[in-house]
Amino acid sequence: MPAEMSGRAEVRASVAARRPRAAHIIGQNIGLVLAAAILLLSIIVFVAMFLIQQHRLPGNFEITSTVDNTMPLALAAIGQTIVVLTRGIDLSVGGVVDLTNALAAIYLAGSFTHMIVVAILVILVGAAAGLVNGLLVGLGRLQPIVVTLATLSIFQGLAIRVLPQPGGTVPDGVTAFLVNTNGPYALLFLALAALGWMALRRSRIGVAIFAVGNDEQAAIAHGVNAVRTKVIAYTIGGAMYALAGLFLAANATSGDATSGNVFTLTSIVATVLGGVSLFGGRGSALGSICGAFITTMIVNILFYAHINPLYQSFYEGLFLIIAVVLGAAIGGLVRRGRA
Amino acid sequence: MLFRFSPDSLRILAAYAAAVALFVIGAFVHPGFASFPSVTAILLVASFVGLVAAGQCFVILIGGIDLSVPWVLNAAAILLATSSLGQNSRALYAIALTLGMGALVGLANGIVIVWFAVPAVVMTLAMNGIVEGLALGLSGGMTCSACASYAPPVVAAAVHGVFLGVPAALWLWLVVIVVVSFVLSFTRFGRATYAIGNNPRAAFLAGVNVNLTTIFLYALSGLFSALAGILLVGFGGQASLGMGDPYLFQSIAAVVIGGVSILGGRGNYLGAAAGAVSLTALVSVLLALNMPEYGRSIIYGVVILALLLLYGREQRE
Repeated sequence: MPAEMSGRAEVRASVAARRPRAAHIIGQNIGLVLAAAILLLSIIVFVAMFLIQQHRLPGNFEITSTVDNTMPLALAAIGQTIVVLTRGIDLSVGGVVDLTNALAAIYLAGSFTHMIVVAILVILVGAAAGLVNGLLVGLGRLQPIVVTLATLSIFQGLAIRVLPQPGGTVPDGVTAFLVNTNGPYALLFLALAALGWMALRRSRIGVAIFAVGNDEQAAIAHGVNAVRTKVIAYTIGGAMYALAGLFLAANATSGDATSGNVFTLTSIVATVLGGVSLFGGRGSALGSICGAFITTMIVNILFYAHINPLYQSFYEGLFLIIAVVLGAAIGGLVRRGRA
Repeated sequence: MLFRFSPDSLRILAAYAAAVALFVIGAFVHPGFASFPSVTAILLVASFVGLVAAGQCFVILIGGIDLSVPWVLNAAAILLATSSLGQNSRALYAIALTLGMGALVGLANGIVIVWFAVPAVVMTLAMNGIVEGLALGLSGGMTCSACASYAPPVVAAAVHGVFLGVPAALWLWLVVIVVVSFVLSFTRFGRATYAIGNNPRAAFLAGVNVNLTTIFLYALSGLFSALAGILLVGFGGQASLGMGDPYLFQSIAAVVIGGVSILGGRGNYLGAAAGAVSLTALVSVLLALNMPEYGRSIIYGVVILALLLLYGREQRE
């Protein structure tokens, strides 16, 4: 046994000697690196098109609207990522965003403290919705895809009950605070979310999430409480969708109990573009944030390419397939290079 | 005990019991609910879900999923209307074209899933967007002059026409139920499907052509979505945007309620057909109760969860 151990240490040492640290980090996070590369590429294409047509660089207005429009998706995608990492999937995202968006549009009003309390309660509603999903998946031993399909229907129903017709108003102060239209200040919130992710990633529960996603039986054998891990993952996910709902309400300055529906699919798209494996255990929420921005940039590019908006989803679908196929090919090459 | 039921056949029986129970409840809350005309009307609506669920059942049995159902169905409806222009003489050509389109889209799904190892969720999701974009773009957002065409009278007759006291579409569904169940249970192809769903590698080692079978199953799913789209145009008269949207949720729910494991390898189309009937009967009962939309949506989800908790749970390891 000791001989084997020292042998392994030798191998590790020689590997470290052969490959520089930077290459190791890229190899370990190939999904995130690819997502960032695609994002950079899409930004360059967008800026080039903008420059040719408007004869100037995108200014404060363009950057701010891009960031503000992406915020809800970026937040929802972080939640989806945490669920997907446990080898789950959450189709109820749209329902939770609907519900929290409707609640925010109706109850966000009055004094500053009142609004703070309402915002916290809205986030708790999202977390409770996630808790229900988590309990059904964890304790109920049901498949995530069917559980969240059923709860999607329930949350959508509740959202329409809360806000039968689009309406309600979000006070200007809330909009100014969350999606300040004078500049891309919403990036601050995104930076906070990213920091939160990095803390979670290194925490005990974060490690458990990755362990359960990689191999649930092995994780259990190593003393990870898989049920608790899943429940917590879905609950955090729900809270993130609630944040997305709050931002969506602030962005639109009113509520609509169906405007959140698209987030079920777009959050999965952003997660996949972000290099997160749908088979669990691999990926980063930072990649999903990149994925969310990529989807917005694609829409921007199609707009400046004067593509008929009716064809928009055609190009989005095509892009998704090409990105996933190429990403898998490049990832495969990198992994083969390491082996 | 005269009979011994395996857990799988118990699930199918449970799905049928749920359907019957819903009709009985319906008869209590709304006299005439279980009358013959009412039951056939509900079954007719269920047949559309049931046909989509046939394709969905095929791909779920191998552990896949088809999220491209909504727009394949919708595009099929638009294509049938625009290519037939409401004329009987063009109906056959239009039906062949539409079914071919559905099968081709499914084929593309299968090919990319198999040869490029793209997860089924991602591929079929992207395909849904691709078909949506093409359908919207080519029809100019349903503003084209041919888009307002009605279904050819023969297609409408194939849905509404009464044969031996039952709408023709129900006979068609019955044929599909018999054929699909037979194919799944008694043919080499059906065995291969279950084998792949249980363990693709073992199936491969046992001599099953896993890739070809998988591609063929996705093509079948596209075909069934297109068939449902054709019948829906015949049912409603015209194609419209968004007509496919409810069928993704309902087809998956029907398959799962019918006792098919979402992980693949277990279940039968007989159960999925019962699931389609249960779902439609549930909606009909709630409508008979004058339940508002939000209430239907909530109860729908709760009932699916209750049925799943009753018999859809994984074994404890």
